[in-house]
Amino acid sequence: MGVGIEVKDLNAWYGANHTLHDITLNIPANQCTALIGPSGCGKSTFVRCLNRMHETTPGAKVTGSVRIGDVDVYNGSSPVEIRRRIGMVFQRPNPFPTMSIYDNVSAGLRLNGFRNRKALDEIVERSLKQAALWDEVKNDLKKKSGASLSGGQQQRLCIARALAVDPEVMLMDEPASALDPVSTSKIEDLIFELKSQYTIVIVTHNMQQAARVAERTGFFLNGRLVEFDSTHKIFTNPSDKRTEDYITGRFG
Amino acid sequence: MGVSAIDVRAAINQPSIFRLVQRKIFNSAGWGLCGLTFLLLGSAMVWILKMVFVRGAGALNLKVLTHIQIGVAGGLLNAIEGTLVLGVGGLILSVPPGIAAGIYLSEYDGGWLAPVLRFMSDVLVGVPSIVVGYFGYVTMVATLGWGFSVAAGSIALAMISLPYITRTSEVAFRQVPRTLREAGFGLGCKPGTVIMRICLPMATPAILTGVLLALAISVGETAPLIYTAGWSSFLWTGHLTKEPMGYLTYAIWAMITEPQRSAHQLAYAAAFLVTLFVLVISVIARVVTFRRSGWGQHA
Repeated sequence: MGVGIEVKDLNAWYGANHTLHDITLNIPANQCTALIGPSGCGKSTFVRCLNRMHETTPGAKVTGSVRIGDVDVYNGSSPVEIRRRIGMVFQRPNPFPTMSIYDNVSAGLRLNGFRNRKALDEIVERSLKQAALWDEVKNDLKKKSGASLSGGQQQRLCIARALAVDPEVMLMDEPASALDPVSTSKIEDLIFELKSQYTIVIVTHNMQQAARVAERTGFFLNGRLVEFDSTHKIFTNPSDKRTEDYITGRFG
Repeated sequence: MGVSAIDVRAAINQPSIFRLVQRKIFNSAGWGLCGLTFLLLGSAMVWILKMVFVRGAGALNLKVLTHIQIGVAGGLLNAIEGTLVLGVGGLILSVPPGIAAGIYLSEYDGGWLAPVLRFMSDVLVGVPSIVVGYFGYVTMVATLGWGFSVAAGSIALAMISLPYITRTSEVAFRQVPRTLREAGFGLGCKPGTVIMRICLPMATPAILTGVLLALAISVGETAPLIYTAGWSSFLWTGHLTKEPMGYLTYAIWAMITEPQRSAHQLAYAAAFLVTLFVLVISVIARVVTFRRSGWGQHA
């Protein structure tokens, strides 16, 4: 089951570049939360701070606190432990090209030392079914490379790979921005299915997408969280003038 | 401003006569230089290959491959064995540290050690191989008392191969897209797991190319071996030290300076074998590099 995320006074830097300023928000469990905003507003950096991916970039720095469930992300836990509890899906599908479909889905388990063949078989099947990819690949599980699939299939493979480690939170950094409309709608259906079991945070450029999949939406601008409220409120009656300007297409 | 898109288009579509002549001159000069270089290198290579293959193939027979050398006659079995043993020995000693250094340079770049390591590696490429040989003689053969031996010869070859393997490994690891590392980290993999289980398989074809080229270079080396492996007309009995070793490049050099026809025959046969071996390795390396493009669908 998913857990909630509490973020307090989060600041992030890339070298001397201060990219996130005093972000404080609570992301509810078992719901989908969308983060919108123009390019470079810090929304991707924000989700990368949640699973300590931000610090893998040379020169990156983070201050403030993040709690995911009962775990204090930046105090007393290792990045490896944190990332095992948080799945991440990236903007461009990034299956491991030297691995088969089966190996891709089971990578998170196998690479971390889990070897039970029978359990792996079950988890691979379950994850691929959850990601709505099972029927398309079940005959080529060990024959085909993950890179031989189409872009949309690759992204669902990446979602299956993230689901296989049974995370409590799924972070999706513009998961559909490199995909065509059909693949995009499949990913959105998937998010809809998954949010009953996982806490989902999705970064998106596409405001309709946010409106379709998310219960709550946050609007970022210039490294600051301008407004965070129910999706309905953000898109129909935002309290901040800048949010209104953005969603009505006056800039960004 | 006075320049419009129409002016720019006109300038591109109808260049001045001066421009056209200038282009023609540079174009033909470029093509001329390319052709000249190709002719120079191509004819040299064809000439060498023709001499080695025609005279070598004529000298090659079953006896050359199955008998050891007796004086200035007999076969090259001892030299073939020596070249293979020394080549493989050099690889065993240079591949693990070379890949490790490549991983360090690519993945842990940032401290003061990486530039120093890269500089030393570049210097090592520039050291003449005979100096490596003499260094091996002074340290291993004389001071450590190993005598002419497989150990000293392999270590000398490893010193020559190491910088090539380090550099190709570094480049190979740098070519692995960052997004794949992030995918690994996102699954909760430790940095070591990401390097060994995700990056290494991606980098393997490129590393293999470097390893094969290093092998080709060591198979073609004579100078470092003269001082370290010495020479022997007998088969290897398996001792790592105090047992000299034959190898093909020495056979070429030693036999071609002898007056007898049988000696010349052996020299050409040895030259043929070395050239063939290097050629085969180079072709395999090319094929491996080419095949890699099949995996390269990930942007």
